[in-house]
Amino acid sequence: MACQFCGVQPASVKDISKGDDPIAKIDPKDLMPLPAPYDGPEYTPDIAELKDETKKTYGKSSTLDGVLAAGIPQPETKEEEAELVDKFLDGLHKLFTKEDNWTFLQPLMLSMEHCARCQTCVENCPVYEASGFNEVYRPTYRAEILRRLYHQHVKPGNKWFKTFQNNGIELNYTLISRLYELSYRCTLCRRCAQSCPVGVDNGLITREIRKLFSQQLGWAPKELHEKGTVQQLLVGSSTGMNSVVVKDNIEFIDEDMTERLGWEVKTPWDVKGADVLLIENAGEFLAWPENHGCTAALLDKAGISWTMSSEIAGYDGVNYGLFYDDVQLARVASRHFAIAKELGVKKIVMGECGHEHKALATIGDRVGVDLPPRESILTLVRDIVKSGALKLDPSKNDFAVTLHDPCNTVRNLGIVEPQREVLRMIAPKFREMTPHGIHNYCCGGGSGFAIMSGFNFNDWRNLVSGRKKFAQILNAFADEDLNTDETKKYVCAPCSNCKGAIRDMLDFYGAKEKSGIHYGGLVELVVNAMVDAAEPVLDWDMM
Amino acid sequence: MSVLHALVYLSVLIFVVACFARGLKIARTPMHLRWELQPVPHEKPGKSMFEQVNWWEHSRDKNHFGELGIMIPEILLLKGVWEHNRGLWFPSWALHFGLYLLIGNMALILLLTILLLAGTAQSGVLVNVLVGLIRTLSFIGGGLGVIGAVLMFFKRTFDKNMSKYATPSHYFNIILLGAIFASTVLWAFADHGYISRVTGLYAGVLTASPIPAFTTTGYLNVAVVLLFFIYLPFTHMTHFFTKYFTYHTIRWEDQPNTKGSKIEQNIVKNVTQPVSWASPHIGADGKKNWVDLAGGTGEVKQDKKEEA
Repeated sequence: MACQFCGVQPASVKDISKGDDPIAKIDPKDLMPLPAPYDGPEYTPDIAELKDETKKTYGKSSTLDGVLAAGIPQPETKEEEAELVDKFLDGLHKLFTKEDNWTFLQPLMLSMEHCARCQTCVENCPVYEASGFNEVYRPTYRAEILRRLYHQHVKPGNKWFKTFQNNGIELNYTLISRLYELSYRCTLCRRCAQSCPVGVDNGLITREIRKLFSQQLGWAPKELHEKGTVQQLLVGSSTGMNSVVVKDNIEFIDEDMTERLGWEVKTPWDVKGADVLLIENAGEFLAWPENHGCTAALLDKAGISWTMSSEIAGYDGVNYGLFYDDVQLARVASRHFAIAKELGVKKIVMGECGHEHKALATIGDRVGVDLPPRESILTLVRDIVKSGALKLDPSKNDFAVTLHDPCNTVRNLGIVEPQREVLRMIAPKFREMTPHGIHNYCCGGGSGFAIMSGFNFNDWRNLVSGRKKFAQILNAFADEDLNTDETKKYVCAPCSNCKGAIRDMLDFYGAKEKSGIHYGGLVELVVNAMVDAAEPVLDWDMM
Repeated sequence: MSVLHALVYLSVLIFVVACFARGLKIARTPMHLRWELQPVPHEKPGKSMFEQVNWWEHSRDKNHFGELGIMIPEILLLKGVWEHNRGLWFPSWALHFGLYLLIGNMALILLLTILLLAGTAQSGVLVNVLVGLIRTLSFIGGGLGVIGAVLMFFKRTFDKNMSKYATPSHYFNIILLGAIFASTVLWAFADHGYISRVTGLYAGVLTASPIPAFTTTGYLNVAVVLLFFIYLPFTHMTHFFTKYFTYHTIRWEDQPNTKGSKIEQNIVKNVTQPVSWASPHIGADGKKNWVDLAGGTGEVKQDKKEEA
């Protein structure tokens, strides 16, 4: 509900518990303007309205902002609603116990108790800014809800003093169903956390909210849970491919790559004692097969002893648990580690997938003991290129190239330079986005959004969460003609989920046809520059 | 011993014990999963350990001066606020820096008191320098703080970003700090015996001897300072020391888990704790621990009767 005086929506944090209508509305006129030639109203359409049937089925959870990302069916009775609220409250307590949440208890407590509400973080949020500063997307809005609930229901102390310090909030089913949905309006990019002088982390708070819903109530988007981690652990991959299918696909990719390059590319499987276990995001094999083909070609050319694993989850580096559930996160990461140990490899090399980097290299580092070392494909490719093992002709990449920094790779791991060193050597028209490196903007598909497409969420992602990145891409190519597809422009995005989000964004705005903006990974550019490749790897018509 | 003695000892004791307890509670939480956030300043810019092939084979030279390079401008100049919230910077900086100056002044008063108790001549150069400094810092620190408090009050009240998230305690905190700053300035300005009275207060507290009588402003100043001592450990203003944890044990904590390390021991301790999350896909029963659950898939098998 908008404030009657200033029109700001919602008027206050307390509105999350109130009313039956959406508390926020996305008006295209409010959204951050895009640069020319995408500044016309035709490029900022309305977000599709939810169908009446959907609204009826998903009830209160569809009354946040008229968008539905996850949604939870409306309970039939008030008693059921009350039961869910009680269960939520029980989970809220568990979130602050060392047994159930040793994983993030310390950072969460610190973020709950020390925010000065100075709002220094807010303008660093690309979603909040792109939305035209819609109150419900303010990074402190959802954090404030959890903070009030924590002080009101978990933290011991005098009730009056706690309200004096933190204000109060009404806990009811309306709140929890909207809060669930609201936890999927943040890409967990952690730009807000970078700017907080005190060290409060709203990205972490959002993830903890998601976790509470998943681990306590079993509420999680199906793309992340049933079709994500569960399918990966049961079948082998979140794509649904079992080991037979994935081997078939890879064989096809190898054959195609062999034909295009003119030398044999062959992916080894389950080689015990190989130096490297390559784990890529299996989405690549279906959506961007040339990424695997080029990675395989580079490893072969560099004479590296490597293998892939056909064990369950061994050929898919995704770990959507990172976005919503610590137990699922630990299960997937443990599988990856166990497979590497079983094969006796010297290290795991993580493919071009940002969240795989974070899940395996840092977060996963403390879910078990005696873990195999993990390394980024970006550093390995940098060393291969710099070693001189490849004959490269940068003029083969004589088109405008810009680089997207995946949040997890740069902001968490700090891998910033290797990919740039490579681009400086192979892409003469490379230019940076502004800002870039550790201060980059999310692609808009972070935290699972790239694979979430239920209801009208695609519209929201393309119009709101990816808007800042689209503007950055356009600005990076501002010196090129954006009114023609004749001059090719390449967004290098060394991350599968980012590529998915950028693909959808370019399709949504028609930027490939209108401006000749294409996207792809880093290894494709390297192989495309190889002198002894029979055919170019980049096929603009197919991209 | 007077009532004032008791109040001073009690408030300082509450401050120390409550801050210590808060710090201890945070420090004793279990080791968490890694959650570092760039920039991690003990790594040289552009030199993340992950940027090296076989990074685990290289020795890590942590550059702790790099950490100081971040912390000093952050603490003294509020660099983060300057960069990301320019409109708030001056009010916040004036408030914080005024407080730093008054804290520094307390240290100078303590030093002067000790010198006087030790029999240093009141007409000595060092004593005169200290007297001059204390008086000056009382004016500058208090004055800057008053300006900061007034401006902060207006920001909290009228800035649409801040007012919506303000709580009664925010206003109270500003008023309390403003009262400390204003009463310091007024006391130092209006009372020619200010220095002898504050050193008398410190001497009385240190030696449990009589404290000289103050002016009304003096009593007001002492009262609001003591109230602040008692109140602060129970508020978000403890960020003055909990910031150590948010930076050093979270953002910049990037110690890898190596064989035989303390980290490894902590992991074993953590993953052998029981889990009680209620969602069926977790499979917890309050007895199974994290290791027991790690082999699961998250699949929830439907009840056959229900399906039928």
